[in-house]
Amino acid sequence: MHGTNITVRKRLTWTFLLASAAFMILVGRLAWVQFVRGDELQKKALEVRMRDVPVEAKRGSIFDRNGNELVTSISVDSIYCNPGHVKDPRDTAERLAPILDMDVDKLADKLSKKSSFEWIKRKVDNKVAGEIRKLLNDGKISGIGFVEESKRYYLNSTLAAHVLGFTGIDNQGLIGIEKSYDEELRGEPGRIVVEHDAAGREVPEAIHQYIPAQKGSDLVLTIDETIQYFVERELDKVVAQYKPKFALAIIMDPETGEILAMGNRPTFDPNNWAGEPREVWDKNPAIWYNYEPGSTFKIITASAALEEGTVHLQDRFYDPGYAIVADRRIRCWKAGGHGSESFVEVVQNSCNPGFITVGLNTGITKFYKYINAFGFGQRTGISLPGEASGIVIPEKKVTNLNLATMSIGQSIAVTPIQLLTAISAVANDGVMMKPHLVKEIREDGKPAKVIKPEKIRQVISKDTAAQLRLLLENVVVNGTGQGAFVEGYRVGGKTGTAQVVGEKGGYVSGKYVASFAGIAPVDDPKMVALVVIAEPQGGQYYGGVIAAPLFQGIAKDVLRYMQLPETPGLEKPKKPYEIDIPKVTVTVPNVVNYPVEEAIRALQAAGLDPQTNGEGLIVCDQVPKPGARVNNGTKVLLELQPAGNKDSGEPVTVPNLKGMTIKEAGNILESIGLLLLPEGSGVAYAQDVKPGTKLKAGSTVKVIFKPPNYDNSKPQPQTNQVTDSKKLENLYVD
Amino acid sequence: MRMRRGPTDFVLFLTVLMLLSIGLVMVFSASSYFAGDPQGPFKDPFHFFKRQLLGAVLGLAAMGFMMNYDYWKLKRWVGLMLICSYLTLFAVLAFGQEYLGARRWLDLGFTSFQPSELVKLCIITYVAYGLSKKEELVQRFIPGLMPFLLAAGGAALLILAQPDLGTAATLLGTVFVLMFAAGARGGHLTALGAAGVAGVVAAIFLEPYRMRRFMAFMDPNADPKGSGWNIINALMSLASGGLLGEGLGQGRHSKFLFLPERHTDFIFAAIGEELGFIGGCLIILLFVLLAWRGYRIAITCPDTFGSLLAAGLVTGIVLQAFVNIGVVTGTLPVTGITLPFISFGSTSLIFSLTGVGIILNISRYTSSR
Repeated sequence: MHGTNITVRKRLTWTFLLASAAFMILVGRLAWVQFVRGDELQKKALEVRMRDVPVEAKRGSIFDRNGNELVTSISVDSIYCNPGHVKDPRDTAERLAPILDMDVDKLADKLSKKSSFEWIKRKVDNKVAGEIRKLLNDGKISGIGFVEESKRYYLNSTLAAHVLGFTGIDNQGLIGIEKSYDEELRGEPGRIVVEHDAAGREVPEAIHQYIPAQKGSDLVLTIDETIQYFVERELDKVVAQYKPKFALAIIMDPETGEILAMGNRPTFDPNNWAGEPREVWDKNPAIWYNYEPGSTFKIITASAALEEGTVHLQDRFYDPGYAIVADRRIRCWKAGGHGSESFVEVVQNSCNPGFITVGLNTGITKFYKYINAFGFGQRTGISLPGEASGIVIPEKKVTNLNLATMSIGQSIAVTPIQLLTAISAVANDGVMMKPHLVKEIREDGKPAKVIKPEKIRQVISKDTAAQLRLLLENVVVNGTGQGAFVEGYRVGGKTGTAQVVGEKGGYVSGKYVASFAGIAPVDDPKMVALVVIAEPQGGQYYGGVIAAPLFQGIAKDVLRYMQLPETPGLEKPKKPYEIDIPKVTVTVPNVVNYPVEEAIRALQAAGLDPQTNGEGLIVCDQVPKPGARVNNGTKVLLELQPAGNKDSGEPVTVPNLKGMTIKEAGNILESIGLLLLPEGSGVAYAQDVKPGTKLKAGSTVKVIFKPPNYDNSKPQPQTNQVTDSKKLENLYVD
Repeated sequence: MRMRRGPTDFVLFLTVLMLLSIGLVMVFSASSYFAGDPQGPFKDPFHFFKRQLLGAVLGLAAMGFMMNYDYWKLKRWVGLMLICSYLTLFAVLAFGQEYLGARRWLDLGFTSFQPSELVKLCIITYVAYGLSKKEELVQRFIPGLMPFLLAAGGAALLILAQPDLGTAATLLGTVFVLMFAAGARGGHLTALGAAGVAGVVAAIFLEPYRMRRFMAFMDPNADPKGSGWNIINALMSLASGGLLGEGLGQGRHSKFLFLPERHTDFIFAAIGEELGFIGGCLIILLFVLLAWRGYRIAITCPDTFGSLLAAGLVTGIVLQAFVNIGVVTGTLPVTGITLPFISFGSTSLIFSLTGVGIILNISRYTSSR
């Protein structure tokens, strides 16, 4: 028998054993991969295969304090495409572009991209979605799909727009409460997880996992929709009447610091914020506007002095019409001064020299103690983005002259919310509360977090606060604040008129900030309000004249809405408080040939008192004549041209038509019996008959019109009313 | 030399048939999603299965033929086999199809042909024959080992040039085992082993892509989307299987294109995912069984040529299986080598089965009878 040699047998046996051992190592290794690292690797494998499709969370709603919905989210369609499934991108683009108002080429590019998902347009309205659905159903287009997304809906459009704010395309809060409470409102986005192959395609019988989105929390605001509505309504009136640069009103519950209403003008519709000018929405003047408060700040001066005992109610003052501080003469708003008066009267008269004396007697250290305690120069911490902190001269740098002017509300800049919060302390027995806008955070309709009123500090004593309220009531009953009187309720308050500080410092001529801070009812305050009207037009700018009535318009409805008991036996202020307008010399502007309304506006802006005589639309003569130097407040008599009769043949004066539209010029000429022969289009640029010429009624005036950018200078009132800036500084009224 | 034929080794036969069957099923399971992809090149889920089935039929025919072709007659063809080996290796370098940066296939028009599979069989036969003739001379390096080292080394170098380090290394490893079995001296073997390891190390360090693979082997997560992709996804597929597997046809990670070379080099990962630890162990067990029967046949073979031939053929299969599973389980660095009888590849299947046919033929002539 041929036996294989023994070495071969032995060695092959070893080889086999070695091979078996090697394979056993592999078994061990396999066990390690599948069991020891099994879970970890398995999880990873699943992660690798799964792709997320985010599911938008429904953003929480916002309610007013009584549960009225102010903001909600509604479902809208967003349109996407899967370019791989679009049969004819060009044709599809041409069909879709007009519906979506998009560029055909850009759309065609999107439709031919190498991806499986491209947004076409998000949050389109129902009509657009419907038209596209129809195209899809008719088989005209393919590869287009819809995703339901939510869109913010502001139920009352402009109501409390600056408070509510708005959200961006991904429902992220951009301004207002929407931004500051974005985290609460946003919720947790959910996910649909779908298994994909390595090429990114969904696989057959794919593993689906649905992680539902968590709805955002709802917010209950401190805002009262009704009170907010009163505020908005009154602001609209002010805007219509005075066309200010902006106007605002804030109402606070002094006991809790809850903001009941906050309105601004100009305002915007958050449903369509992108279509509104940025400067209208990106700042909330109620919390951002730094301004010199003027006389409303005297409440702070009085608080400090009374609390520190540096003044008492019956202390006597003598106002010669000015105060001299550090060689500077600071005038009282009343020419000749208020003479001898008690502190009660100083407040009632808003007497500058009186307050300057009180401020100087209080001294820098004590005065600053209250500046700081009342929170000036610091943000109130109200939950809105973009709050400013005001400007206070550092205590180390402050001079006696600064102290004197600060006592009457100059040389210090405050924000409306800051001043309101400070004054609320007076209303709340000296305790200052932190202003806030959100009362409650709700989850699934149940309160998840209740925001409690937060006491900042006791700034003045209860007694001082009560004294101050009586002083402020006296201002409304007997003093500068009579315009704020509300029948049946004890209202206290303080007017303020200040000049606008320019960018370079120094005051801007002719630009004022009128304001009124009010408390009601003074015996048990339920509301504190601050109204501010910045840069009103039309000649009126006194806080007592335009801001106090704004307060009154709001307060009378708010107090009744709150169902507060009326105090019987309150009498109306007996005589209107004479607001003595300081005498300054102004030049009478030319208003001859002006339409009457424009003439009145121009004269008022110049500080003059227009009186009309006769009937008609055009001023044909004025007394005093243009260019005359007169005191402000002087009556200017305007002779109006009666409506002409074309057939009468009587002579009429040709007006200056420059800057008018064809329609305006036509109306005016017709009213005085002349005919218009227009040439070109736009605004009147030249006319063939010189203004002022007498023509027979029925004659024709040829007017050349050009596009307005060519020369759009409407007849402008001459604003040469005040020239001496030294005088201006003293023009502070009450 | 005339001997009486006995029955073939039925256990080995069954083992190979089982491996072959599992392979066919798994090739279909792993490739069907890819092959049936309507956007892919094949659009037919059975594309690879059909080809593998044809390979299996041809391979079984070849096996049947070799079972009945007395192995000692192979001695006549040894010279021709050596010449053929070198010719096809040169041919593939000159005219081979390039796929994934390597030239390993010759396009024969109706099918492609992988010469290294033929070469393995031929070189093993040649070396087994040569060593059996040297008898005591194998104890001496120059006359006993050198000729075979040159013949096998040359072929291995040509295979390495394709480049195909895995096949080259298994070929040389098999030749090394043959020399060990034939009775080469320990000192020579140690030197050769050291040289082989040095060669492999050099091959890794001199070739940037091998270096990257080696680094990925050390830390697959360093570049998970690049060089670590293969091994990470192989491990994920295996891990997804657990003890019992996701079930036949249910392997998701391996199917859905995450696992590369899912029906060829990494098919063991697909098996691990679908059939679990149990399935993986079954495959390993079948190879151990194959080794046991194969080496038993070699040991019981009455003549040295038959003994070394059987041992060489078994070693070739077993070594390749070990390297393949080692790669898939992250035990060895990635190298492109298939799992015998299971991975897709008709050439490999035909020559592996041919080899088994030879072993089965040898099994009919045992000294125990």
